[in-house]
Amino acid sequence: MTSLYIHIPFCKKKCNYCDFVSSAGKEELIDGYVEALIHELASLPPTFYLPPATIYLGGGTPTLLEPKYFDKIISPIIGHWKLDIGNFEISVEANPGTADKSKLKELRRLGINRLSIGAQSFNDQQLKALGRIHNSEANLRFYDDARSVGFENINLDMIFALPEQTLDQWKKDLQTALSLKPEHLSTYNLQIEQGTPLSLHVTDYLFPDEDTELTMYEHTIETLAGSGYKHYEISNFAKPGFECRHNIVYWKNGNYIGIGAGAHSHVNGKRWSNPNCIEKYLNSSFAPQPSPIVPDQSETIFMGLRLLDGLEVEKLTGFEKELAELIESGLLIRENLHIKLTRQGLYLANEVFARFV
Amino acid sequence: MQSKIRNFSIIAHIDHGKSTLADRLLEYTRTIDKRNMREQVLDSMELERERGITIKSQAIRMKYKGYILNLIDTPGHVDFSYEVSRSLAACEGALLIVDATQGIEAQTLANTNLALANNLKIIPVINKIDLPGAEVQMAKEELMHTLGFAENEILLASAKEGTGIEEILKAIIDKVPPPQGDENKPLQALIFDSHYDTYRGVIVYIKVVNGRLNTGDNILFMGTGKKFEALEIGTFCLSLIPKTALESGEVGYLIANIKNIADAHVGDTITTVTQGAQKALAGYRPIKPMVFCGFYPINGEEYEALKEALEKLQLNDAALFYEAETSAALGFGFRCGFLGLLHMEITQQRLAREFNLGLIATTPNVIYKINLNNKKSIQIDNPTKFPDASTVASIEEPYFKVSIFTPSEYVGAIMQLATDKRGNFINLEYIDQKRAIITYEMPLSEVIIEFHDLLKSVSRGYASMDYEQIGYKASDLVKLDILINQEPVDALSFIVHRDRAQYYGRKLCERLVEEIPRQMFSIPIQAAVGSKVIARETVTAKRKDVLAKCYGGDVSRKRKLLEKQKEGKKKMKRIGKVDIPQEAFLAVLRLNK
Repeated sequence: MTSLYIHIPFCKKKCNYCDFVSSAGKEELIDGYVEALIHELASLPPTFYLPPATIYLGGGTPTLLEPKYFDKIISPIIGHWKLDIGNFEISVEANPGTADKSKLKELRRLGINRLSIGAQSFNDQQLKALGRIHNSEANLRFYDDARSVGFENINLDMIFALPEQTLDQWKKDLQTALSLKPEHLSTYNLQIEQGTPLSLHVTDYLFPDEDTELTMYEHTIETLAGSGYKHYEISNFAKPGFECRHNIVYWKNGNYIGIGAGAHSHVNGKRWSNPNCIEKYLNSSFAPQPSPIVPDQSETIFMGLRLLDGLEVEKLTGFEKELAELIESGLLIRENLHIKLTRQGLYLANEVFARFV
Repeated sequence: MQSKIRNFSIIAHIDHGKSTLADRLLEYTRTIDKRNMREQVLDSMELERERGITIKSQAIRMKYKGYILNLIDTPGHVDFSYEVSRSLAACEGALLIVDATQGIEAQTLANTNLALANNLKIIPVINKIDLPGAEVQMAKEELMHTLGFAENEILLASAKEGTGIEEILKAIIDKVPPPQGDENKPLQALIFDSHYDTYRGVIVYIKVVNGRLNTGDNILFMGTGKKFEALEIGTFCLSLIPKTALESGEVGYLIANIKNIADAHVGDTITTVTQGAQKALAGYRPIKPMVFCGFYPINGEEYEALKEALEKLQLNDAALFYEAETSAALGFGFRCGFLGLLHMEITQQRLAREFNLGLIATTPNVIYKINLNNKKSIQIDNPTKFPDASTVASIEEPYFKVSIFTPSEYVGAIMQLATDKRGNFINLEYIDQKRAIITYEMPLSEVIIEFHDLLKSVSRGYASMDYEQIGYKASDLVKLDILINQEPVDALSFIVHRDRAQYYGRKLCERLVEEIPRQMFSIPIQAAVGSKVIARETVTAKRKDVLAKCYGGDVSRKRKLLEKQKEGKKKMKRIGKVDIPQEAFLAVLRLNK
């Protein structure tokens, strides 16, 4: 089975911390871009054109698009494969401030059944520092709207270690998120990527130090576990049965096809990606240029270990020495036939992963 | 013949314009075409260009108005003062270049004194007179006051602009005396430099002082006792021009199938095997490394590559000494000896740059003489060889006379610094209202550890220094050990004065805490003398290193990040469980950064 990722690189405004493929102020390209997506889908080699295991529309800001575009993109897929949308995951990333209740209602009607809301924070000052276009109130209203139009599987994206954020502020943010009772929570430690506007202003803000970041993370893990969420990936928590199936495909190093500018694909050991630049993507011929098949055991390991259930011990064949050392130093643990990160290993995951590349 | 020869060198502080002036002389005498002029022809090694200093000397023969002018270049750093003295000994005159914006520097003065000791005629030249900050009158007064020149002797030039070049050439011809060799005496030729050529063996740079050297002569190197046949001799003009003979007063080269550069020792005298000279020329001194450190490959598999690289460097650097040694912490490596700290740094950089080797250099040290209770005496060039303190009767260490040239406002700060570095005050002399020379006797071990950096820092870069060896003196010294994660790291041990052990121990621990990255456990760092811990710091454990977001399907990006992380580790040396970066091993040189 192959999962399908569709990238929508348009934003109202680019956020200060964002280094994904996305641009603001290019709305006039949307029409042509959607045509190109449809064209790319149609020109995939037949062997790839399997019924998708999951569909995920990410961005950018997918919800910037009018419902008619969603209709154009996903309806043919659903129709062609006769997908049972009651039992199928179609996620869309949604940003408060880009969709009203009626737009959300349309999306739900088209078969989209999982909404990943980029709330990020409930503190207006910190939202502003991140360059988000919405405030806390918009977050709450957007969530209510999504619920009221029938979304029953909602994720909230939250970020901690924000500029000037205190531990108490993060605790409060997390409480607000929990009070909404989402099915899924992603909590990311803010990372300052080179070249982003935030990276140019790091000295203007006081950021939480490493120890505080760790305390925030620990607090998140414990609070969410106490509220009935399963910690199933380093940064992801879900009510039982609501784990994100699409993302699990990435973590298990499974097959996925990415459509759109900058999208990455991985099918049967081959990897390729599309041009990052929207204009270049529009002019490309979509003949995928897969890399030669490379043994990607390393990827299987460092992606797989992100899942808290770990991965099967036989997938680590050849790394016995590293495994033994990491178990001895308390970062990995073996449980029956699985190797997992310990709690300390979770905090030092990169140290662990780096041993396998 | 000799009456038409002028042998001269250029004495100048770094950056005062020696190389540019040499370029202008070559152009003006049409020795080199302006079109083919590469800037600073004399500095051929990449590192020399970059650091703006001349490490190996060269010689160039120019023809001008019926005269032969041999410019003998000299190395430009205090570590090479013996080599400078031998190059100067091959000359009858010298241009003394002083930067009009900077004035005389300590090293210039030291080299001028060397030249005067060799009876050279000095022609003072104030350079860079075109610069806006030029203080020509002040530079003139300095030259008059410190070196006793008459005002009308001093030439003004701008090598960059090409002004004053003709006057300089005229002064060389008129004022520098021709060589006074005796053609009828047995051959005495002075070796003032040499370099190794892959195809031709060692090329020896010589000045024929007395007699005559012919192609085919059987020759004797009087200092080393080695005999060779003069296969080819000739003169330099950017390339080698063979000749059948070199006569008294001439400067040229000799090729004699010499495989080992140490056989052509700078300062040695060449004579003929039969009917040779009875006495060698004065001034020969065997090479003696003064500063030692260990070089270890970070990656143990590069040991052989390091060995080969040292062999290659030694081909062209007779002053470089090395022998295999083993460190408990670092494994197999080499103990290397150098003329001074700069020589060490240059060697280290060349190994990294030209041979692409990842190296750890251990704390530099000097040779200590240790007198034992059993009346025996040993010399050690490595702190790890320091004997058990209970067996030691007394210890002696090499002392240097250090002359520091400084604007007068920094005198107080410099004297404080020299005192902190265990210096004994000798003299303070004001050259004029603005500049002073301070003289101290100091242990070499203190001079090589951060003294030069501190001197520059307390004087805002204005002070300069020169030093010369004056012998050994008794000192109350102890061995300071560093323990990382409870394990002594022999490569970090060093020998210090008992009164300074506490200071160095504390500073070094502080520095190491900054240099050693946080790891997955906390790492105690201790300084100890014998079994007594005198300072302690801790590198706290790294508690968090996790990439929160996984970039969708872009696994390659994630992989690159992890690879970078892993690469960073490879550049470190693992001792016990601790990864230690290269820089940490030189922490003692950077205590105050």
